[in-house]
Order: sequence, then structure tokens, then C-alpha cells
Amino acid sequence: MNITVNGVQHEVESSLLTPLLDVLREELGITGPKAGCHQGGCGACTVLVDGEPRRACLTPVAAVDGAEVTTVEGLGEPDALSPVQTAFHEHYAAQCGFCTSGFVMAAEALRTRSDGDLEREEIIEALSGHLCRCTGYVKIVDAVAAA
Amino acid sequence: MAVANVASNAATEVLRPESEEEAVEAFGDGTNVVVVGGGTIVVAEMTYRRLRPERALLLKDAGLAGVSRDGSRVTIGAMTSIEELAGLPAPLGPCAANIADIEIRGAATLGGNLCAGGGFEAPRGDLQGALIAVGATVRSAGEGGISEEALEDFLPKRDGRLVLDVSYEEPAAGAFACLDRPHTHDYTALAVSGAKLADGTIRLAVTGAGSHGQRLPSAEGGDADAAVQDVTPHDDALASAWYRAKVLPVLVRNVLADLEEGA
Amino acid sequence: MKAVGARLPRYDGVAHVTGRTQYVDDVRVHGTLWCKALRSPHHSALIRSIDTSKAEALPGVHAVVTAKDVPHNVYGHLEGLGVPADEPLLAEDDVRWKGQPIAAVAAESEEAAQAAVDAIEIVFEEREPILDIRSAADPGIDHFHQWGAVYPHFGPHNHRRVRKGDIDTAFEEADLIVEGVYRPQAIEHCPMETQVALAVPEPSGRLVIYSCTQAMYFSMGVVAAHLQWPLNKLKFIGGTVGGGFGGKVDTATETIVSLLALKARRPVKWRYTREEEMLTSSTRAPWHIEIQDAVTNDGWILGRRTLTLHDAGAYARFSPYGVTKHAFHHTGAYTIPHLRFDGFVVFTNRVPTTAMRGFGVTSVSLAVELHMSRVAEQLGLDPLELRLKNANRIGDTTGNRVVMHDPSTVPVVLAAADAAGLELGDEYRAMTPERRSGDLLPEHLVGQQAPDGEYLATYRGATNGGR
Repeated sequence: MNITVNGVQHEVESSLLTPLLDVLREELGITGPKAGCHQGGCGACTVLVDGEPRRACLTPVAAVDGAEVTTVEGLGEPDALSPVQTAFHEHYAAQCGFCTSGFVMAAEALRTRSDGDLEREEIIEALSGHLCRCTGYVKIVDAVAAA
Repeated sequence: MAVANVASNAATEVLRPESEEEAVEAFGDGTNVVVVGGGTIVVAEMTYRRLRPERALLLKDAGLAGVSRDGSRVTIGAMTSIEELAGLPAPLGPCAANIADIEIRGAATLGGNLCAGGGFEAPRGDLQGALIAVGATVRSAGEGGISEEALEDFLPKRDGRLVLDVSYEEPAAGAFACLDRPHTHDYTALAVSGAKLADGTIRLAVTGAGSHGQRLPSAEGGDADAAVQDVTPHDDALASAWYRAKVLPVLVRNVLADLEEGA
Repeated sequence: MKAVGARLPRYDGVAHVTGRTQYVDDVRVHGTLWCKALRSPHHSALIRSIDTSKAEALPGVHAVVTAKDVPHNVYGHLEGLGVPADEPLLAEDDVRWKGQPIAAVAAESEEAAQAAVDAIEIVFEEREPILDIRSAADPGIDHFHQWGAVYPHFGPHNHRRVRKGDIDTAFEEADLIVEGVYRPQAIEHCPMETQVALAVPEPSGRLVIYSCTQAMYFSMGVVAAHLQWPLNKLKFIGGTVGGGFGGKVDTATETIVSLLALKARRPVKWRYTREEEMLTSSTRAPWHIEIQDAVTNDGWILGRRTLTLHDAGAYARFSPYGVTKHAFHHTGAYTIPHLRFDGFVVFTNRVPTTAMRGFGVTSVSLAVELHMSRVAEQLGLDPLELRLKNANRIGDTTGNRVVMHDPSTVPVVLAAADAAGLELGDEYRAMTPERRSGDLLPEHLVGQQAPDGEYLATYRGATNGGR
């Protein structure tokens, strides 16, 4: 089958039930999404599927047949960060960085579906599937609020 | 680079029906086939090699999603996402909103939730309670063809059935009360759903006090403490049986009070 | 000094937010084989026999290693600090914790590696596990560890000791003895990045190891010791750690992937699954801490007896070091002149425990602070005023004779009281860390202060090693 990632179409050899995360990382060499648990519990693997945030480790690749997949690599470049990426960087929302791409994708989706200012409670609710062991979350929420 | 290094289940025959009829036919009598709805339970099981299906039925394109109404009768297709249910009135709405997080809810399905097994000693079929409370019936396929029955009769034999949809009469009032989850990756240790049907009957149901959701007939007359007679709670990582038995009447009392107010 | 006080961007910030930071699992080397380990299913058992021949014959399997493949199998990570070796890299005659690695496989896929692990034939003879530190040292128990129930190499003792002053007299003179038992439990570091290493053999004979270790040079030394190699044959690439918190100092994967890479003559990567990380990686230790304080009715703590049992799990690792730090901090932020501390490193059939933020000290801090509040409660005194009274002051000494030059107890307690909106008596509000005098220098503290300029006190009754 074919999948479209960050606007580029790829032919996929992996079997249809292979988790999208493994197709991205192992087959296509797109390593922005991380394997934190491979069972949907941590959010480090989150990507956008047609703009919706999804756990790539729980998504069989067949489920994105015909869909647009966006990973953190598709959001911005080091010299052209997206507003969410800029906010994360400016607010020190990353320490070890391992959870960051998942949080950034979730924040990106939240920003897209919301108008105007976000309450901290809304941000926390939207990001509630994501774990971070380093930061204590405060600066992540600050970053999303400022994005 | 080929994907040889992951649990690819390359040997599994993958079926992708494009209609309810095709899905029913592919499912057959349910032997040797694993149903993949959103994948939020089974994909992890496959990754960790606890599930090695011979055949897998991917329902994504079988047209089984959607909420429809015919007067006061609500029908929800098996592939409807849990996120889509989160905005419905209580008990179903708040019950759905209390499952996992938005990302998982966006992929997880009603059918997958109803058919969740009792693995890891965690209650995973939260929606069972809410739907039992509103008196839902399930339309399912499997051995003997398509049948429709009350959800509480369906649940003990859900292995081997393919859920097509559920339907129920919109109640006059609904309520939902649960133990807070420490984190969204936990299941709620105990939840009680209640509904006051159009004719005034009260129905109560619980999840987290047994291997699947069940009714609490002893408490439906208003005696919250009697609810413990209907259940055999268990110990697991989320809560002890003792704690569940202590909290159950509290949740029931809250639900009964909310139903009073709502009527 | 432009940087001090300035708000500087993280040098790795842009890489993090663009997903370009390269962690070990993001490193892709052509020809990489995948490692899976055979781990003990038992808490405690003898290994009667092991046969890897079927595993080695499976398709896609390039190498299988067991203890006999390790040039130097039992190497102590802290041998340089005087902690002798007790732990094998790969189990030899017995297994002592559920999850202990026994063998490892390198194969073309993780699936093939796991199939090979499952094909290793091993016969165990189970032993009764020892899982409770309180009973691990019971005389009737036949303990599994070659050193017995407790680590015996604290100098001439089998425990870390602190002796100061005259504890017996302090307890006789007390108005009240306050007792408490504190049992902080194990904590799993749970870094978002699980343990992972990739070893790449070079044609020159050197090994390049991509490691998630928190301590590159340290881990390099460990690998070199196990392989009996000179350091210059190893190149470590790392320093990008997806969370460690103390749990990535155990060099859990590097040596094993190195052995497999050398045997298979291919790069080998081992990445823990989350379940493997949760079930088999080291944790912060559980502790059992018993404190008895000899106190006066007006709130002076004359003396403290402490018994600490630290659950090292099956092997010593860094536990003696942790208990030592714990011992140094067992008076906490307070000055107590008469002390008797005994801390034991106890071996149980649990996962070996390791460092985690504040290693050894967080446990005793928890115990000390809970105990101070208990003392206050039993004496009917305000818990903050009790702390201010007994607070470390300039010239006071710790249990191990370190002299206080700028102790922060008083200003911190006062600031905490302010922040919490708690009332304090005027005399307490006015307190400072200055050298003791007047009411703050009672009989039992006379002669305990070190003269100006001294950093390590020597005075009547103060010893470190114990008598």
C-alpha cells in the first residue's frame, strides 16, 4: 500500500497490521515519533492523521490508507519553526526531549481546532494522554497557552 | 528498509470488508478471526505478541459508523468512535468522555469497547455500564446469523460475536458517577450509570465490579447499599475488592440523586 | 560572566522541538541484528542445565551468549570505591531475581530473536525466595547471597555506623522517647526512553557503542572490564539520554550487545520494551527506617537511635554508597549531639536497586521530617518551632563531623512559614543561623561546636567509623 507522510507519498512493504509507528521509524526512517511504550500509554508516538492526533503505535498502517499523516518533521524546520514549536522552545518545555514530538503534535492539533485563548484546563485535558518524566508539565502547558 | 524486525504479523490474512454484508460474511462464526475496530486494544496485544491472529477483520471501511435517530430511538454503529459519543447526554456521554484521552477516543470504537475482554484484570468495557442502564439492545452477527438481544444477555457471550450496532430509547434522565482515574492511561476502577426511562423505571448498572458491566437490580428501588449484593468485586492494580465494595453505594447514591434532580 | 543570570536558550531546544534530536534508537546502521534476552522467570532458583543449541540453529540467529562467553563475568561497578564484585553480567549457577538475564540472542529480527530465546532449554530448581528485608537476616534462613544476608564490607563491620557522643546517657536523661517507623517504597524511574544500546564492530577491531548511559566514561570502564579490553578499543557515542534519573548508570545493555556484536560480527541493537523496563530494570530501593529520639519536654532532641534496612535487591550495585550517604544525612537539617546509627544493606530476591535522584538521602529526609513532626505532636509543640529550635547553626556539626558554615535550616523554615501563612512565636521569628548562645546553647550542646575555620570537627566523643 501507499501512505502519504508530510506530503510525500511512500510505498509501504510492511504488512497491513504493522503499527504506523513502526512503518514510520523502521521502514521509512522517519524517527521523530518515538516508541515510549508501544501500547498507547505514553503519547510519545503521536502523529496527526488527517489533522487528528492519533497514537501511531496503536494505528495499523492499513488505517491510514488514503489519509495524510503528519509527523513533527512536517511541522517546521530548525530555521522556520511552527508557532507551537517556537513556543515550546522559548518556554523551555523540553528537557530530555523524548516526549516532545508527541506533545508538539497534540498541541498543534489542539491549536488548530480551537479559536483564541485556551484555558489551562482545556490544554491539560487535550494533552492528558501524554507523559513527561522530566519537566513536571508546567512549562509545557505554558508553551501551549502561549502558542 | 524492510520491516523485518518488528512483530509484523505478516502471516495474518487481512480482510477489509466494504459493507455490513461483507463484514458479516467475513466474520462467519467468529472462529479464527480477530476483529480490528480502532485497534486501540488489539494492536498493542499484537505488538507484544500476545495475539497472533490467523485472520484479521479490519472494519474501517465497512460503513458501520454513525449515530442515527428515529424518533426517540437512537442507533449507534459499532465503528462509531468513542469521541463521537462524548457529547451525548448522560450516562453515555460522560461515560465515553471518561475513557482514555482524546487521541485514543478518536480511534477507539463502540464495538471494540463492548467486546473488550477482561485482560490485565482491568475493566475495559466502560460503555457496557452506560448502555445497560439505558436498556440498550445489541445487533450482532456470528454463529446462527444476525441476532438482537439485550446488552446484559449479550455480554457473557460476546466472544464469537461481531457487534453491528446498539440501539436504545432515549431516557427521560441519565446519570453517571465514577472513581477518578489517577491518569488517562488507567481505566476507571468503578463506575455507575443510571437512567430513568420514559415510563419512570430506574435502571442502574456498574462496570469495574466484575468481569463485565452488569445491572444493579437490588439498588434500583432506591436502596444504594443493596447494590453490593449484585456484585462480586475483585482486587486488581487499580483498587481492592474491599474498596470497590465500600465505594459502590456512594456512587449509586450519587446517581440516584442525579436522576431525581434530572426528572 | 554573561551567562550567569541570563536566560539562554537550550542548545538542544530546536532539535527537540523539530524531532531531530538523535536518541540511540534513532541511529540506524545497515546490517543491524536485534537482541532479546532470556530472563529468569523465578525469584530465586539454581540453574541445573542450559542448552542453547536449538536456539543457535534457528533461522536468522547469528549469535547466542551465556556466562561462559563473558571474559570477566563478575565485575563490581564500584570496585574502584572498595565495593567488591558480586553480580554476574549473565547468570552462572543460579538466578536471584525475576528478570535476571541469563542468555542473549542476536538475530535478524526481534521476532526471530525472541523465538530463539524461547528455544533455549534451561532447567531450574526453584528456591524459596527472600522478599522481606525485615526477615531476610533471620538466622534460620539459608540465604542465597555468598556474603550472607547483608553486605559485609563496611570496613570491619557489616553495616554503616555512625557513633557520636553518649547515646545511652542521652536516652536515660530524656523526658520522652519518641519512636517511629518509616518505609518509603520502591520507585521505577520510568524514563520515556527505555534502556537501549547499539554496538557496531569496526574493521580495525574497535567497537563503537551508541549508549543511553548517563555516565559515558563510567560505562566505558564497565564494558572494558567485562571484555578485558583496553579502553582505547572502545568508542562510546552518547550523552543524549531520553531521561535517566539514576536508572541509566547500571550499564544494563552495553556489554551484552558488545559481546553479541563481536560474536556475530554484525552491529547489534537491544532496546527494552516498556514491559521489560517496568519489570526488569533497576528501581529506587525500598527502605525500612526506625528512629527513636530522646527528647526533653521543652523540645530539645538529645539523641537519636536509627536502624535502617535498605533493600538492595539481589546484588550490591551502588547500595553501600547509598546507605553511606543516607547515614551522613540521618540528622537532617537539625543538630543532634548523641547518635547511634546502624544501616544495613540487605539482599533480597528483588530487582537490584540503584541510584535515583537524591540516592540514599530522600529516604532519610522523609523519615527525619515525618519524625520531627511526630516529636512535635507528642510533645505538644509547634512543628516548625521544634525545627527552628533544633536547626543546624553555624559551628554545629553533622553526625559524621562535618562543620556547618552556612546552614540554611532557619531561613528556609521561616520562609516556609511565611509562604504557608503560619504563625510563629516572636522569639522564633527572630531566629538566625548564627552560632549558638544563650537559650540556644543548652547544657547538652556545650562543647559540641567546632571552632571557626574548622571543616571537620575533632572533639570529645565524636567518631565516624564507630567503636
